[in-house]
Amino acid sequence: MNEDAMIQTIRLAGELDLSRKREIRDAFAFSNGARAVLLDLSEVVYADSTALTELLRFCAMAQGANTPIAIVIAAPQFLRLVQYAGLATAFKVFPDRGEALQYLSECAGT
Amino acid sequence: MGASELRLCRPAQTRSVAPIRRALRTFLEALAFDGAALDDITTAAGEALANAAEHAYAQETKHPRRDVELLARFERGELSLEISDGGCFIERSALPGRGFGLRIIRAIAHQMQIETSHGTRIRMLFPGPLLKS
Repeated sequence: MNEDAMIQTIRLAGELDLSRKREIRDAFAFSNGARAVLLDLSEVVYADSTALTELLRFCAMAQGANTPIAIVIAAPQFLRLVQYAGLATAFKVFPDRGEALQYLSECAGT
Repeated sequence: MGASELRLCRPAQTRSVAPIRRALRTFLEALAFDGAALDDITTAAGEALANAAEHAYAQETKHPRRDVELLARFERGELSLEISDGGCFIERSALPGRGFGLRIIRAIAHQMQIETSHGTRIRMLFPGPLLKS
């Protein structure tokens, strides 16, 4: 957690597929006091619809809690997966951590 | 040029999905697929494999062991992919949040068919790398 901005960072890397469903779900959890969440998936090299489903579930929880989420995705395969699933407008996706943090800082008013 | 073929059969379990997917990717690279086409075909296959692994045991008590099989065949500039299992097909509406797989496959494959009479069999067709402009 970034103590100044109260931005929680969640990082996952590697291949996010069905075999890691439980791990993904467990990782996508809020920390107490977080005013915003950065999902740093910049080191994910492959993702499938399991990851999308868990992302949607977490984003819905965040929306209910009025907590902004920014997702960093770098892998072209992952970016196209989001498009193919028709979820391009469902997530706030950024190409790097800097842009994502700037967005979250503005949302959190820090 | 003759046909190139990859056939793999593994137990229909979640841990089988990634090794089959990686083997397919290596096969595609050997056929000169690259870039977005390589990623997309691997993605579509991964969704079908995940579907098979997740659903093949829906009738586990009747059929205690099931396999998932992948057949990739490249011939006359076209790649056909067939992924089959002995499980029962589960409609999207029966699994909230798990319906993206077929949507993704349909978005990627140039043709796609599903047979559900004996297990589930998903057939996909893709143009070969030599046909791309």
